[in-house]
Amino acid sequence: MTLRVQYCILVIKVTALKKLTLTEPELVLALQSKDSTVLKTLYSMYSSALYGVISRIITHTELAEDVLQETFVKIWQSAEHYDNSKGRLFTWMMNIARNLSIDKLRSKDFKNSLKNQDIENNVSFVDEQNKVTFNPDVLGIKQLVENLKPDLQAVLDLVYYKGYTHVEAAEKLNLPLGTVKTRIRLAIIELRRSFN
Amino acid sequence: MENLKAYIESGVLELYVLGDLSPEETLQVKELASQHQEIRDELAAIEYAMEEFAMQNAVQPPADVETKLFQKLGINIEEETSAVADLPLQAEPKIARLDHSDGKVIRLRYALVACVALLLMSTAALFVTYSKLTDAHDQIASLNLDKEKFAGVVSKLEYSNQGLNNLVEMSESKDWATIKMQGQAISPQSKMNVYWNKKDKRVVINYLAIDLPKADAQHEYQLWALVNGKPVSLGVFGKTDSTSREALLKMQTIQKAQAFAVTLEPMGGSVNPTMEKLTVMGGV
Repeated sequence: MTLRVQYCILVIKVTALKKLTLTEPELVLALQSKDSTVLKTLYSMYSSALYGVISRIITHTELAEDVLQETFVKIWQSAEHYDNSKGRLFTWMMNIARNLSIDKLRSKDFKNSLKNQDIENNVSFVDEQNKVTFNPDVLGIKQLVENLKPDLQAVLDLVYYKGYTHVEAAEKLNLPLGTVKTRIRLAIIELRRSFN
Repeated sequence: MENLKAYIESGVLELYVLGDLSPEETLQVKELASQHQEIRDELAAIEYAMEEFAMQNAVQPPADVETKLFQKLGINIEEETSAVADLPLQAEPKIARLDHSDGKVIRLRYALVACVALLLMSTAALFVTYSKLTDAHDQIASLNLDKEKFAGVVSKLEYSNQGLNNLVEMSESKDWATIKMQGQAISPQSKMNVYWNKKDKRVVINYLAIDLPKADAQHEYQLWALVNGKPVSLGVFGKTDSTSREALLKMQTIQKAQAFAVTLEPMGGSVNPTMEKLTVMGGV
């Protein structure tokens, strides 16, 4: 009953504010009530953050766009599975985006798209896949990440930007798992410091 | 507690937030988080940092991705929002007046319009009638003029008719003697008759039987009887074109007379005739 009342209040708020931002509990409530207007709000609030995550893992623009679309479809379809005791809504959405991106990176789709590259474009394409691209909009953050100690940066690069699991990263860097975990932690602590 | 700190520092919570743990490990983190505030706080801080990091590394996707997405989901955002927006419109209250002054006002308005229309029509009709009346007056005036003319003609005709009848009567009667007077030196063309009753000695002239020159305004004709060489006035008579009702004019009676004459005298007549102005004369 209270949920119903809360939802009604929310509908009024959404109608009045349209695209304006909502708090996370309000978003969750509306999403789980399958209110399609809230998806618009959700999209305007988070699409660029999620696209940022996706496009760093998948630098191929069209595939990244596909993944963004799939991400929102999945958010919409599995909203009822989200449980706020698991954590923040954004974390849940970001993990959907990351998982779909990594899946895409390993899928036939992606490998086919690699094969279909013209010979002359191949060099730059492969190169693109193997380096961190610099987006001028986010240079400040890049600066921050680059100011990390190189060993921390290498781990963050692999795990956050390239969609490696910590196990894969350990293999790649030839480090023990525990060290990789600790370095990820230290890198994130650096980020936390800079945001506080 | 030491274990908890070591657990936090192992970096497993970061991997949990990044979704990089096995299902068993994930379950373990959830359990510990439900038991320990420290873990919940640490998780919240990591999540916040990652969200902030993602927000600051945001990249605007192309606009058509959104369009495609909503098409794929079969959601028409515009329709849904407008459907919600329409609701309050339907609920708009209808205002019903308790008195019926609305109807009255409308009726009065119609009445006002009708009055103005009637006024205009009346004014127009009045002008038409007025101009017709003026025409009628003109016609009446001209008819009156005609009528007077005809009346004049009729009276003239009656007068002539009466005069002629009398002439016929007198000439047929044996009692009346007709004395024809001839024109004299000043007016040889003139002629006039005098009728004299032998029984009662009345003297009558008939305007229809007078043919004298027109007298001017200061003069009139005077009839004389010559009795034993002496002139006796029998009275004056008007102009020959007189329009008096009677064609016959009684003059003074005379017992005896040898002749009758007419002279032109000043207005009112004279005691003795002006012989130079002797116009006509005739013996009995």
